[in-house]
Amino acid sequence: MNPAGPRKGFVPKAKALNCPNCGSQIELRALGAAASVICRYCSSTIDASHPQLRVIAQWQAAMTVEPVIPLGSRGKLQGVLWEAIGFQQRGITVDGTNYFWREYVLWNPYHGFRYLSEYNNHWNFVTPLQTLPQNTTANAMPGVRLGNTGYRHFQTARAYTWFVIGEFPWMVQVGEAVDAADYVAPPKMLSSETSDNEVTWSESEYLPGAAIWQAFGLKTPCPPPAGVFANQPSPYAGRVAGIWKFYGLVCAGLLAMMLFFAITARRQQALDQKFVVQGGRAAGERSFVTEVFPLEGKEDNVAVRINADVANRWVFLSMALINEETGQAYDFGQEVSYYTGRDSDGDWSEGSRSEEVLLPGIPGGRYYLRVEPETDAAQAGPIPVRIRVVRGLPYNLRYFLGMLLVLIPPVWVSIRSAAFEAKRWGESDYAGGSSGSEDGE
Amino acid sequence: MSRLYMIYSALVAGGLAVSSITGWSPFTPYDEVKGVPKSVRNNPGAYRSHYAGYARYLGGK
Repeated sequence: MNPAGPRKGFVPKAKALNCPNCGSQIELRALGAAASVICRYCSSTIDASHPQLRVIAQWQAAMTVEPVIPLGSRGKLQGVLWEAIGFQQRGITVDGTNYFWREYVLWNPYHGFRYLSEYNNHWNFVTPLQTLPQNTTANAMPGVRLGNTGYRHFQTARAYTWFVIGEFPWMVQVGEAVDAADYVAPPKMLSSETSDNEVTWSESEYLPGAAIWQAFGLKTPCPPPAGVFANQPSPYAGRVAGIWKFYGLVCAGLLAMMLFFAITARRQQALDQKFVVQGGRAAGERSFVTEVFPLEGKEDNVAVRINADVANRWVFLSMALINEETGQAYDFGQEVSYYTGRDSDGDWSEGSRSEEVLLPGIPGGRYYLRVEPETDAAQAGPIPVRIRVVRGLPYNLRYFLGMLLVLIPPVWVSIRSAAFEAKRWGESDYAGGSSGSEDGE
Repeated sequence: MSRLYMIYSALVAGGLAVSSITGWSPFTPYDEVKGVPKSVRNNPGAYRSHYAGYARYLGGK
């Protein structure tokens, strides 16, 4: 795409002329500005600046492509009314497969030429650059810088013109070849096109297809874009950093809450009772009840701590925390066992003499414990046991579980963002398994 | 920053605050039994906990 602006003193006018080759009528919309016009009937390239419309080249159309935006239609983009006056299909060949994209020449007598490019229903509004970007190498990747924006190299490919129709600000021909390089900083993209005698730069800005359909009043249904385009803005752009920052704040808040509830926890010592469990085959009923103790507050947790002086033996306590007034019981059990010994690996030990059972959501009231101890009938000898009941212990693990729950969305957004970028760069020269500069759109 | 994530985080934090105040937990290591007779205090053997007779670890390496 050659940059070309309105000529000084240009007066916009359209003129209907006849093709010098086939005689068909040609309407010149950018009269005085267009360098060439392609006859839609015989595909002749005509010098639009020549008074008699001299034929420059003739070619046989290898394909016929109908522009989605009809030539001559007008649409307002970026606050300016543009007229579509030219259309070309260009492409590259990778591993024997042709990949095509389409470009429209837009014309406004006061703003000159602009372009629309479309690939897989991804659209870009293209403006020729009047200043040269500076080469950079950021993160060991080649790139360019324009103003304050850095652009990363995306791909370089040899692009050919396959089909043209309408007016162009340069002498366009089918078979025209350029080395096209793209540098991306979504939603912007800088592109250079190098031919034998010149290098031109342009800046593209990604547009959703719906904006094109609306601007040009297209009646056909707007097809959805396929895949991820080089400069397509990521729906997750800016969200990843923001969501992690918010996650940090939530964690800080949860830690503050944890600290607050740890400091203000009730920690009411409700019961501290010692008893002895007789080993061996003791006669009679083993179960007993503790004294009645109050559990303060409306609803809170209750920790039952058991210390049993066991050595190479076990004791199992079947317990029921019973509300004396309502008859509501909470049945639970806990084993305390502790074993030690020595073998070829040295000293070993298993189990613990202390255990704790945390009973959540116990309403306040007057309670007692019914305890039914069991132990190995083969081992005689008493086992001293101490039971303590504590009301309202801080339970900090829940806050770390909460942090894990809140962690899910940032991780999910990060994974989706990475997947989006992987799709984008999968189409670039830097994709895994890429064979080099011929990879392209 | 998604408003949905803010609401989700607020719900998690609110749930944690409520569970801290009430001592509630989704994991209950007990079975609830209603209507235990008052006579259990005088005759503990009249009530059998659900956990009585559970198989247990017999210990030793």
